[in-house]
Amino acid sequence: MASSPGENAADAENGVNDDDDYDEIPLQHKRPFGTSAYQRPISFVPASADGGNLVSSSSQQQTEQKGEIVADWYLSIVSPNTTRDDSKATDGSPGEMCEICNLPLDSLDGDARRAHETTLAHQICIPHSHPPSALDRTRRGLAVLEQQGWDPDARDGLGASGQGIIFPVKVRPKNDHLGVGLAVPKNLPRSKRDGKPLLLNAGQVRKQVRDDVKKSRRIYQELFGSKNQDKLDKLLGRPGPAG
Amino acid sequence: MADSKGAKRSSIDGDSFQDSKRLKMVNGGGNATTDPKYNKYLAHQYEDGQNQNGFQSPLDQFQRHQTTAIQAANAEDSDLNPWTNKPHSQRYFGILKSRRDLPVSKQRQEFLDMYHSTQILVFVGETGSGKTTQVPQYVLYDELPHQTGKLIACTQPRRVAAMSVAQRVANELDVELGEEVGYSIRFENRTGPKTMLKYMTDGQLLREAMHDHEMSRYSTIILDEAHERTLATDILMALLKQIAERRKDLKIIVMSATLDAQKFQTYFFNAPLLAVPGRTFPVEIFYTPEPERDYLEASVRTVLQIHASEPDGDILLFLTGEEEIEDACRRINLEVDDMIQESEVGPLKVYPLYGTLPPAQQQRIFDKAPEPLKKGGRPGRKCIIATNIAETSLTIDGIVYVVDPGFSKQKIYNPRTRVESLLVSPISKASAQQRAGRAGRTRPGKCFRLYTEKAFKKELIEQTYPEILRSNLANTVLELKKLGVEDLVHFDLMDPPAPETMMRALEELNYLACLDDDGELTKLGSLASEFPLDPSLAVMLISSPEFYCSNEMLSITSLLSVPQIWVRPNNARKRADEMKAQFAHPDGDHLTLLNAYHAYKGAEQGGGDVKQWCHEHFLSFRHLSSADDVRNQLKRIMETQDIELVSTPFQDKSYYVNIRRALLAGFFMQVAMRESSNSKVYKTVKDDQMVMIHPSTVVSSPYDWVVYNEFVLTTKNYVRTVTNIRPEWLLVCFLSLFVLPFNAQLC
Repeated sequence: MASSPGENAADAENGVNDDDDYDEIPLQHKRPFGTSAYQRPISFVPASADGGNLVSSSSQQQTEQKGEIVADWYLSIVSPNTTRDDSKATDGSPGEMCEICNLPLDSLDGDARRAHETTLAHQICIPHSHPPSALDRTRRGLAVLEQQGWDPDARDGLGASGQGIIFPVKVRPKNDHLGVGLAVPKNLPRSKRDGKPLLLNAGQVRKQVRDDVKKSRRIYQELFGSKNQDKLDKLLGRPGPAG
Repeated sequence: MADSKGAKRSSIDGDSFQDSKRLKMVNGGGNATTDPKYNKYLAHQYEDGQNQNGFQSPLDQFQRHQTTAIQAANAEDSDLNPWTNKPHSQRYFGILKSRRDLPVSKQRQEFLDMYHSTQILVFVGETGSGKTTQVPQYVLYDELPHQTGKLIACTQPRRVAAMSVAQRVANELDVELGEEVGYSIRFENRTGPKTMLKYMTDGQLLREAMHDHEMSRYSTIILDEAHERTLATDILMALLKQIAERRKDLKIIVMSATLDAQKFQTYFFNAPLLAVPGRTFPVEIFYTPEPERDYLEASVRTVLQIHASEPDGDILLFLTGEEEIEDACRRINLEVDDMIQESEVGPLKVYPLYGTLPPAQQQRIFDKAPEPLKKGGRPGRKCIIATNIAETSLTIDGIVYVVDPGFSKQKIYNPRTRVESLLVSPISKASAQQRAGRAGRTRPGKCFRLYTEKAFKKELIEQTYPEILRSNLANTVLELKKLGVEDLVHFDLMDPPAPETMMRALEELNYLACLDDDGELTKLGSLASEFPLDPSLAVMLISSPEFYCSNEMLSITSLLSVPQIWVRPNNARKRADEMKAQFAHPDGDHLTLLNAYHAYKGAEQGGGDVKQWCHEHFLSFRHLSSADDVRNQLKRIMETQDIELVSTPFQDKSYYVNIRRALLAGFFMQVAMRESSNSKVYKTVKDDQMVMIHPSTVVSSPYDWVVYNEFVLTTKNYVRTVTNIRPEWLLVCFLSLFVLPFNAQLC
């Protein structure tokens, strides 16, 4: 509706012109400016019949044959025209499957196994350890939770079986009237603040440092100034100024 | 009763003859017809003794947990009220008839069979099925509390619902509210020694459980509106799950209005499910072909479009907040005037509906739709523009069209910045379905969604996040500790909160000295949990005698626990601000609140019309008087906990200083200091957030240090309700918290 003010202005102008020619519409029946929204109807479409069942249940299969899928994908990139020969794989006895990636092994001897272990398909299926959590380890709350058996690095939530959410719910503030599902237009006027990071020259940096020092002096003065010196000394157990 | 007797002499005489014949059957013979004692219209003369022992109650043949629907129906039909042993009133039978028409009533026997066979039952009934009023009564006729001496509790997420439902059920059972049927909500308890069925807020049951870990007063606990997943309901479910293992005689019914009941079933050890169809009609759903650039504009247009082209029926539009709703009201009113002159449409009356609207204005949404403008013209309709309170909690009949822009305001707590904010965010699919369902209450309806079908499927989350994932848990953790929950990590919640939120709550309580370093409840914490308040307010109240101002802090705490007492109508902002300035105290908003309260009390004692006085001074009488109630409740708690009620003499020059210092005792974590000597920007000391003082403040001279009551996140970061403090007060009281970081930086 970005164009509506313009349209309305045009409407108003037309109205003025019309009045000059035909003086039919009495003044009290003239529309207040900026309205007539109802003349621009939205053409709603009825909901489709399939309801909301878009989620397929293929995820289970996916995990079972992850290795195979990766292998196929890799093959399709490297040599698009060849398809992997499945018949050979199914011929092999079930004992010759790799335990990690569920792919058939040609033989069990050292070299072939090592060669298999270096393949991308196998490597992707090896369980990885996570980097440790970024939580501040000195937090008291963390100590309490750890005491009760929560491991910050295990990527578990709280709850009887650790099923809780791992990170707090996050919601972006919304200060506009854009509808659901509308991608934010790129040409939206930006606020002044988000631009490139500001580059300071040496003088500006020096000034910033000076200001910082000034500010910390002021805080120090407020907190530890002579007025409070006695109290502070008492609290910290220092001998008084006289001593 | 005497009145009605006089007024309707003849008809009553006729009835009494018949009634006494029926009575005879009930009593099994004897001199029922002749003995005046058994004439129900004279029964009040024989109240002492006779009624308790003289009659055979219809309930005498009942065997607990073996009753049938027919038995219960017979007892309900009898002339004597089995619970009070007084005759039923005329009105009772009228209500009974309408009760029997409710959908849930057809399945009473099915319900009883299931209830007898299981400890935990999940009950699903859509709004309008009658579950909230009827199921507790079915349980009442089966549990027979007069034999066991144990109560039946039914929890509600909202105070208003608990009160109004209790009143309704008291009418249905033909008993006095507060006697056999009562309610208990925060700051108000209306139950008596005879109470058998108790409606209460979920939070209130939780508070009771703090002193009675086994909930031994109750034989049955009904959790109503469990689908709303309020914080207290979630905690109660986890508690009851534990208690059910220990107390096999406790029965639990979880009632939900939506169809995701499976989650409740799995959670409660695969409990059986009983579903009752609601009275709903099909709703046709429409989407926009393209995403909308401005949902507010689009919703106004859609309402007008419906008004112009759809058959009659009322419209319900969901928007996010007061400001948006009032804006839309204004715009629709303008456009409709325009339309009426342009084309043949009926009148359209627009009503806003949001939480802070005064009750009288909220009631107006139940007004009838306007009449046609001229005889034979197109009928009028009403349009209600509401926040999501109209989504579940409130039922408005006559709605046929729903307009859903797909947004609502949600409270979100960010444990990293410790800020709780109300943010506009897209609703969930479940919530969208709930909104659509509102259109099919009286006849088939239509729902217009102002987004595409693709957006519905892809952008909206499945379920709204339950409150426990979006809240500050400081209060909850304190309650859990008091409830005897030692292991917070493995506490079996349906949706456990994020670890960081839990850690933050533990830390906040630790700063307030409510928990020690090992996370154990301290004496102060235990005392603070006795107050139905946020921990910081409770701690402030408990430590106020040290500053010789507990009376004043009591008032301030009550004023902070009710909605804003300042009224600022759009058409009289300037007058309102002038009036507020009369109460202004130069040192801050907390003291201004106190001044206003003292003036209110003065006006009350001075006689005269207090309501009028409040109106003239732009104060909310409703909120001030509820603050007064809250104050009395808190005072009672303070007295039972032996907290001294003291005041500094008013003439003493440290009167206000003491109050300001006492504020810090609870709110020392909410202090902000000015960035530089002539800027308006402040920086919160604890988290280094840049904030400004909210424009509603009375503080004019910029102080370097302020304590604030709340952090408001809108387009700018604001702190609201601020009071000037001196930094050395912080230093003296809370050295460990603040000074050490500064110290380390500077030395």
